[in-house]
Amino acid sequence: MSDKNVQRLPAEELYRRELEALIAAEQDPVPTGWKMSPRSVLAYLTGGVSVKGVEITPKYMGNRRLVEIAIATLVTDRALLLIGEPGTAKSWLSEHLSAAVNGDSTKVVQGTAGTTEEHIRYSWNYAMLIARGPCPEAMVKSPVYRAMESGSIARVEEISRCASEVQDALISLLSEKRLSVPELGLEVPAAKGFSVIATANTRDKGVNDMSAALKRRFNIVVLPTPSDMATEMEIVRTRVEQLSAGLDLNARQPDGNTVEKVVTIFRELRAGATLDGKQKLKSTSGVLSTAEAISLLANSMALAGSFGDGGVTAGDLAAALQGAVVKDEDKDRISWKEYLENVMKKRGSEWLPLYRACRELNE
Amino acid sequence: MMGGPVLFGVRHLSPAVAFQLRRALDKAQPALVLVEGPSDLNDQMPWLCHPETRFPAAILAYTRKPPVRTILYPFAIYSPEVQAILWAREHGVECRFMDLPSSVFLALEPERLPPPGEEGKDGEEGESTGDNDRTTESVYRRLELFTGEDHDTFWERTFEQLEDTEGYRDACNTFGRQLRQAAADRPRRVAETIVREAYMKRVITQAASSGVPAERIFCVCGAFHVAGLEENQPLTDEEEAALPRMDSCVTLMPYSYYRLSSRSGYGAGNKAPAYFELLWEALHQGGLERAPYLYLTRLAAAHRAAGNLVSSAEVIEAVRLAGTLAAMRGSRYPTLSDLRDASVATMGHGNFSELALAAADTEIGKKIGSLPQGVSRTSVQEDFYQQLRELRLVKFRTVEVQRLDLDLREKLNVQSQKAALADLRRSFFLHRLRVLDIPFATLLPSQQEGANWGEYWELRWTPEAEIQIVESSLLGDTIEGAAAFALKEKAEQSTSIAQAASLFQDAFLCGMPAAAAHALSVLQRLSVDAAALADVAETAQRLSLVARYGDLRRFDAAPVTPLIRQLYLRACLTLTDACICDAKAALAVTSAMEQLNALQLDHDFLEEERWLSLLADISDRDDLNTRCSGFAMAVLLERGAADEELLAREVARRLSPGVPAELGAGWFEGLAGKNRYALIARLSLWRHLSDYLDSLDDEAFRRALVFLRRAFADFSPSEKNDIAESLGELWDVNPTQTAEILMNDTTAVEQEMLSSLEEFDFDDI
Repeated sequence: MSDKNVQRLPAEELYRRELEALIAAEQDPVPTGWKMSPRSVLAYLTGGVSVKGVEITPKYMGNRRLVEIAIATLVTDRALLLIGEPGTAKSWLSEHLSAAVNGDSTKVVQGTAGTTEEHIRYSWNYAMLIARGPCPEAMVKSPVYRAMESGSIARVEEISRCASEVQDALISLLSEKRLSVPELGLEVPAAKGFSVIATANTRDKGVNDMSAALKRRFNIVVLPTPSDMATEMEIVRTRVEQLSAGLDLNARQPDGNTVEKVVTIFRELRAGATLDGKQKLKSTSGVLSTAEAISLLANSMALAGSFGDGGVTAGDLAAALQGAVVKDEDKDRISWKEYLENVMKKRGSEWLPLYRACRELNE
Repeated sequence: MMGGPVLFGVRHLSPAVAFQLRRALDKAQPALVLVEGPSDLNDQMPWLCHPETRFPAAILAYTRKPPVRTILYPFAIYSPEVQAILWAREHGVECRFMDLPSSVFLALEPERLPPPGEEGKDGEEGESTGDNDRTTESVYRRLELFTGEDHDTFWERTFEQLEDTEGYRDACNTFGRQLRQAAADRPRRVAETIVREAYMKRVITQAASSGVPAERIFCVCGAFHVAGLEENQPLTDEEEAALPRMDSCVTLMPYSYYRLSSRSGYGAGNKAPAYFELLWEALHQGGLERAPYLYLTRLAAAHRAAGNLVSSAEVIEAVRLAGTLAAMRGSRYPTLSDLRDASVATMGHGNFSELALAAADTEIGKKIGSLPQGVSRTSVQEDFYQQLRELRLVKFRTVEVQRLDLDLREKLNVQSQKAALADLRRSFFLHRLRVLDIPFATLLPSQQEGANWGEYWELRWTPEAEIQIVESSLLGDTIEGAAAFALKEKAEQSTSIAQAASLFQDAFLCGMPAAAAHALSVLQRLSVDAAALADVAETAQRLSLVARYGDLRRFDAAPVTPLIRQLYLRACLTLTDACICDAKAALAVTSAMEQLNALQLDHDFLEEERWLSLLADISDRDDLNTRCSGFAMAVLLERGAADEELLAREVARRLSPGVPAELGAGWFEGLAGKNRYALIARLSLWRHLSDYLDSLDDEAFRRALVFLRRAFADFSPSEKNDIAESLGELWDVNPTQTAEILMNDTTAVEQEMLSSLEEFDFDDI
């Protein structure tokens, strides 16, 4: 698995050293089916400590309390639902939680409009089904099925994008904690340690609203957008570093100033007001999440690495910003232009190159 | 200090401390219990122990002379001090307060910034000291940074869950000692602490020398002071005599959990009084492990009561989650923050806002304390409760907002005179409270039209009301006396007739003729000086109200009449001049005209002739604001003092082609300002308007359109419709015919016309 040519390694591979150190240093009781104690999971996620000489990096840089609640939920073998705006590290947190708890974050069901009940339960290898009739070998187990068998955590991404019958399939799984296979006369009980982490997007609200019955099966944690500028900058900087290392971008890390500018612009457009709160702004239709800021910076690094001298210039940044901010052509372009003229232009010489580059793109 | 007095460090308003304290007392079996609290409040102790006393209650000390300074000592049932006092009472052991007298505290108060009177018991923490970064408060902040939890949670997790009395006492005293070492407060605060501790030490030493064995003295004080009491020397006699003092009074008063929770700062309150009481209950029902069940079931019940769906399964999950959260933080039982976070994740769908109402109910609660009848109240309080009983308003003394509708008319079907006027007397009483700013009753706007025997109130009891009542005792000995004094003082200070008139009205509503007479004399004095027309008219109207409806409130309106006459005359004399004004001021003038017109109609003793000739003059003159002239015309029309001919003449003159459109429109606006129905029905008027419009050229028409649009802006759609109909009639457009034509399919030519009309803004007409 630890193939360096893989585009994106799962969390447990990427942070194998940290996980192993934590497991080796374990002192607290470990719940059944878990690889480490809840406290170690917390340490793995919030970081900032060093265990047996291994520095534990922070994975989630928000409210520590929310992580505690999430972990405690899994301890009580309840299902966990992470809700938040796009780009608030829901999937990220869910992946790292399962990586820390089970050392395996790959039992994932990706929720889409095309997800069917079979993806949650099981389906069949039809060739074998026809050849041999219903038998265990012909069955294709879903990630949730496998998690139940092994007593580990299954992840359901973007649960609110699934049709309601698919969501309903989860209800009985979560309340009965067993899955029946009538074709084989089987009842699969969930092994201890089984749980589900689902994520849902607040922007998808109303697409496929979750039923009260399903919601009741989950403990719900709402992940906020980063509460202050410093946290968000820290998140962006760390993630950009990690990302660019993996992507071989051949570009230098953007300096603090650049990160600050991007985060400032994002925060201001997101909030619809300047940071000092003195000026109201038109916000744009795009989400402008922290995740987007990260990919924006990586994007501009790619531009700089591939076509420039490896340093992120105002031009690279402007091009990336343009793409991120102006989504719904006309309206966003107007808001963006207004922002350029009313806010950015007046920010003094330091912002001038970026302002000029942005304006050029909007002539 | 081996063998010396037992020093038991406490945290104020802490249930666990109160619980441990009682155990410690049981074990120590002292002969004297000394409690940190002003030593001149010893008289209040028996009342705190009275079987009818329901906590929360507070002792209020206040200065006799204004400006009133107050200090409040709030107590809940789980206050360690209260439990110490109750324990002493139950065991027949003597108990006293030992801190500086409240009179000294009040004298020190101005220096204790800010805010005065809010510091509660001893202000050992919670003061905003700002500049100094080593205050006790800053130590807490550092602790918070270190533990990652707010201080209340830290305390709850670390101390509130200790179950062993000895261990608890050691932990608490150690905490106090270390806090003392870590903190360096401002010199002033340090000095005050030293004086207080020296005073307490003095009380302890005196007690010991009076014959009580030192080891049988049990002192209950803030944990912070334990070290000070061990080390400091007692205050000498000279020092004690040199303490500043202020003449002060003390009263017990009921308190509320809401109030307790809204006071931040150590000792003065805590954020979740109902939750703390729940802990107190749990401690007595077998231990803190019950607390999560109590809290979460109550929260669920409150959430259900607010119309939400909560299943027992969710409550069970919340209990489990809270337990796990506590374990992760290393505490035995969940703290409030664990419980809350758990309930948000399980019942609140991740949003605290969903549970906010239920949480407020469960954590803060609506509890209000009560005291036995007649407990050390000021005479005003006595009077207040007496009247509350007499007027049958006692049932309104709750935190819930309640409506009270009064019918001020005399009821003829009851026996006694008293009962017949019960509602009126209630109204007097409530108005007096209003004058005294006692936030018990709020007057709602009248819903009656053309009558005013109804009065609508909203009543809600708050501890603030009690405090305000206590403070009113500075103004007089009864509610009425205090109100009279307040009115008199305000009247002396008033500088405009509008102010004085509103005070007069207040006195009238309060049913206090003497105060009203005084306000009236002030009013008279002020009215002699020049006053703006609007003020004069407004005042006259207020007085007129009194004159007309005075007997409803059993008020002799005779003294008011001369003043109304005087004001009427003054208004008439200044009206013409007031009409020379700009468009903005014209509005005020027309509304004054309206008021004066009503005034004249209401009172026969005001000469009609003067009014009508004045109006005719204003209507006639064209050097005045045309809007005022138009309005004068409207009044004349309404009163039948202008005939068709005059109107025709005026319309023709005001709307003649040479006159600038804005003047004409302004006049029309004034004319339309009154009695619209009659105006709309007056076909001749619309004929004139139509003629006027016909006479305009395109440029002038556009101009006139703008102003006429404004003139018609506040007509209702149906009024506009009626006008359109009137005009239609003038233009020989029959409504039925019109409808018929409209129902037919439109021809191509008509289509074209219609689409060309689309650019025309119909709103302009």
